[in-house]
Amino acid sequence: MMLRNFAREIRFLSKDRGALFWLALSFILSVIAVSFGVTEVREQRETIANLIEEDAADRANALEGQEDWGSAAYYAFHFTYAPPSDFAFAAMGQRDSTPWKHRVRMLALEAQIHEADTRNADFGLVGRFDFAFLAASVVPLLLILLLYDLRASERSASRHDFLVATAGSSLSLWFPRALVRVAGLALLLLVPLWVASLIAGASGMVTLQATGIVVGALAVWWLIVELVSRIKASPSVLLTSLIGLWLALAIVVPALSKAVIETNNPIPDGGEILLLQRETVNDAWDLPKEATMKPFIETHPEWREYAEIEEGFEWKWYYAFQQVGDQKAAPLVEQYREARLRRDRQAGIAALLSPTSFVERAFEKLAGTDAVSMIAYEDEVRDFHAELRAFHYPLMFPEKDYDSGLLAELPLYKPES
Amino acid sequence: MTSPLEARSLSLVREGNTVLDDVSFTVAQGEIFALLGGNGAGKSSTLLTFLGFLEPSGGDILVNGTSVGSDVALARSAIAYLPEAAALYGHMTAYENLDYFLDLADKLASQAEIDAALERVALLVEARSRRLQSYSKGMRQKTAIALALLRETPILLLDEPTSGLDPIAIDEFHDLVKALAEGGQTILMVTHDVYGACQVADRVGLLRRGKLVGSFAAENNKRINTEAVHAAFAEREAV
Amino acid sequence: MTAITRIAREEWRLWLRSKTVVAAALIVVALLTATSVLTVHRIASEQSQRLEQQVAAEQTFFAQPDRHPHRMVHYGHYAFRPPPPLAMFEPGVDAVTGQSIFLEGHRQNTAMFADTKAAADLGGFAALTPAGLYQLLLPLLLIVLGHALFLRERESGTLAVMLAQGQSGVKLALGKATALLVVIAIFMIPLIAVAAYSVSLGESALAAFSLVGGYFAYLCIWGAIVLTASVILKQRAVSLGVLIFIWLFAALIVPRFAINASSVAIDAPGKIESDLVMLAEQRKLGDGHNAADPAFQRLQDQVLKQYDVETIEELPINWRGVVASYSEAELTELLNDYTEKRMGLEASQSRMFEWFGLASPTISVSSLSRALAGTDLATHHRFLRESEVLRFDFVQSLNQAHAEKLDYTTDINRNNDAASAQRARINSASWQVLDEFRFAPDSASKRLGRTALSLGILIMWLLLACVIVLLTARRVRV
Repeated sequence: MMLRNFAREIRFLSKDRGALFWLALSFILSVIAVSFGVTEVREQRETIANLIEEDAADRANALEGQEDWGSAAYYAFHFTYAPPSDFAFAAMGQRDSTPWKHRVRMLALEAQIHEADTRNADFGLVGRFDFAFLAASVVPLLLILLLYDLRASERSASRHDFLVATAGSSLSLWFPRALVRVAGLALLLLVPLWVASLIAGASGMVTLQATGIVVGALAVWWLIVELVSRIKASPSVLLTSLIGLWLALAIVVPALSKAVIETNNPIPDGGEILLLQRETVNDAWDLPKEATMKPFIETHPEWREYAEIEEGFEWKWYYAFQQVGDQKAAPLVEQYREARLRRDRQAGIAALLSPTSFVERAFEKLAGTDAVSMIAYEDEVRDFHAELRAFHYPLMFPEKDYDSGLLAELPLYKPES
Repeated sequence: MTSPLEARSLSLVREGNTVLDDVSFTVAQGEIFALLGGNGAGKSSTLLTFLGFLEPSGGDILVNGTSVGSDVALARSAIAYLPEAAALYGHMTAYENLDYFLDLADKLASQAEIDAALERVALLVEARSRRLQSYSKGMRQKTAIALALLRETPILLLDEPTSGLDPIAIDEFHDLVKALAEGGQTILMVTHDVYGACQVADRVGLLRRGKLVGSFAAENNKRINTEAVHAAFAEREAV
Repeated sequence: MTAITRIAREEWRLWLRSKTVVAAALIVVALLTATSVLTVHRIASEQSQRLEQQVAAEQTFFAQPDRHPHRMVHYGHYAFRPPPPLAMFEPGVDAVTGQSIFLEGHRQNTAMFADTKAAADLGGFAALTPAGLYQLLLPLLLIVLGHALFLRERESGTLAVMLAQGQSGVKLALGKATALLVVIAIFMIPLIAVAAYSVSLGESALAAFSLVGGYFAYLCIWGAIVLTASVILKQRAVSLGVLIFIWLFAALIVPRFAINASSVAIDAPGKIESDLVMLAEQRKLGDGHNAADPAFQRLQDQVLKQYDVETIEELPINWRGVVASYSEAELTELLNDYTEKRMGLEASQSRMFEWFGLASPTISVSSLSRALAGTDLATHHRFLRESEVLRFDFVQSLNQAHAEKLDYTTDINRNNDAASAQRARINSASWQVLDEFRFAPDSASKRLGRTALSLGILIMWLLLACVIVLLTARRVRV
């Protein structure tokens, strides 16, 4: 019986040119969104592959002819990067505004890690047309346009009572009629996503979750449209109210939550981190050597016996004050990092109030392009930088003889994902 | 024997206004009952209560002896309803419309049965595969009646069925309704077409300001009680 | 004329009686007020904060003790970009780019700590600005108000009566347009207020009121589109649906599509990428820290000849300072070369983005608005260029002090012991070489010149929309 209802409504839909237009549009938009995404991910991968190669060549070049550990460490840059995940094509998220590649060396990390090698600022400002944006913001509008006047248009054609009287109950009429549209919309959106997932090699689990998010969001918006369109008002009043609701949920609630979250969680001025780090590093030149070596030894007691600086300039002292500069800034850095994470956590809670924010965040999470992933990348860079120090200190402090052959063992950045 | 349609002291209040006040009547099987009245007399509301779209504020309304309120779907399945503006889809052909609405009513009909029904309402063969938006009002009306025929319901409710039709179409329509009644269908129609009602109906009821102010057998009295009719219609000026 | 005002007044009466319209207008007014107040407040505090930071950075630099001059080269300096007055209406790219930059020798850093990096991520529309409301929300309000503007007369049958009375469709349309124009004029008031306020803060009146004019034209375009739809289409639900679709397309889809398209069409390599290419070249130039680098042999010969001496020790100036100055100049030229190339590519991406204004007036008005407010990519590039000049000047002045005020032998022996290090310093008075840096966007006329393309497209849209309204209104039948 239900099946027959659906078959009937599918036939009915196939003659509704307005609805077919919206459905075709959603399919085209979905294809555009995922193809741009796949292209962008491919480009980013190419860039990374290129940079890995160039970086290695440049490092080899820089290391050539060095005569001590200190200069070798000074001139050797190391490329770090967060490769786009296999699902990143669907949501570029924070990758457009937060750096995902760095070249670091063994100097104070705080002077390097905040470098932002981001794209054209206009891109970050306007944003990309990716699948997450489509699913979060545009699709609800398409759904509204598809469903708002299911009842109201029949009412204004004075067909409503006739239809219901013929069908016997509303359930066997409106439910299949709306469901066919919602299912059509979902399918037309998801098929390009599935195809792109296959091409990009995204895991089935992630694609399944993404499917769940899209379907869930459609269901929520369907419920909203359903509740509103039961009001006996003219189609244009219904549409106006629904657009108003969309505005409230997609723009006003996120903007309001953002304002509240950011006021309640002030973030340390990034400039302060740099300033503190720079003052510490520069002051060290003028301070007695012990002023640097003492705090250094506190965190690196294993080099205590090599911490006597006799010359006016020694590399180990130079790197020690770089390290101390980072150490001095560390509490501020931690505050900055914590504040970012706290803001993100609260944004996650606030997103429950806005299906638009929720979908966008959920996609970013699946794609590994959310704030947490970007911070995780920064943590990886910090870890790698620590590895660099751990490699050089045992050579530099005991003042082992320079052996360029050992540099083949230099740590190489390997992204976790 | 229970009557297919019965109103028992039916009253209806909407937004504080009394729409129907203590209306009682029955329509017997095979009978054509016409409710006459001016605008706002409560004619259409009466039909809508039979279909369960409006709930009586007092009294009861029965279809085949069962209160509509207790089983709306049962009542609706016994009734074919023809709204004032034959409300079919303009972007579909007659065949497509019938197919859709029959399906909606959970009724199976073969192509031959459909053609037979369209034949009976005299819808031209070449028009049947055209979209309804190119139809005249009479042709749409015919399609809607064909639907009612195909549904094979024992009861037919007609809301202003002849308004906007040309005289020839009205005559054709009346003949069809009479034939249906002879076939055993129970028909309740509401109209403000006094002469048409008297031509086609077995009995005529006069509705005035929500009250049934009189009813008489039309067949035996071709010269109708003009005074009562005018009284019923005078309401329009008063509103 | 009276007929037109009469029609417009009737329209207003109808709007004022409609709960939906009044509610929608009030919501927009409330949003506009709240966002404007918040943004004005935020920008004002950022502006004074940045200025204070700039002054503080200069004072710390001046207050540094006697030092080796090259140490000051690495000590470096900061440049801050305070938001221009109109940023309180249109903050533009400022949130994305970061507004401070660290300046030091041998390096060109990027602007750091963009607001977006630490922002609470709630999706694409969370960063609400007054300009954004004008670009997105007001067209929507015009649609809600005007989608039935003309076809209401058709629906109620009054159109036939009016045409029968000898009123022309054009006159009727002009009346409706007047009604809508009054709405637009009223909603321009907050923008005019902000513009006037920005003028009182020192913004040029030309820029401020060109901005007002640009938005007025933009809203008029939407008004004309709305009016056209209500003339052509016969049902209000269809008219509303079509207009919402146009809005969805113009305001949401095309701008983001244009971003994707211009990023695919023009490949602007990132800084790391172009730096790597450049680094290879830089190595050919030699390293400024190491004066014995063979690449400097030629320079050495030339300088020795110039001063007519045999060895660098005999030079009246400090050879190390000469080398530092020389290599900084060479390196900067190279760096600027690559930076200019990169900025050029970014600028052409943005240019391409602007051309998409042909498909969406929202793109044109947003480009125009950022350019006029001095918060566009070009202004950011100007900031990068100016801070680079600042960087180069102070680094070279320090290098000059290095060459002239510090003896070569003292210099090379600086690491021998504490006393030598003490000797290898110059007087802190030399730090006064740092120029005072107060960033200001381009002049108003220059900013206006930059909007030529967007403005042209906007005017084209306006003319086109008006012509279509008139044509359709003239052919209107019952």
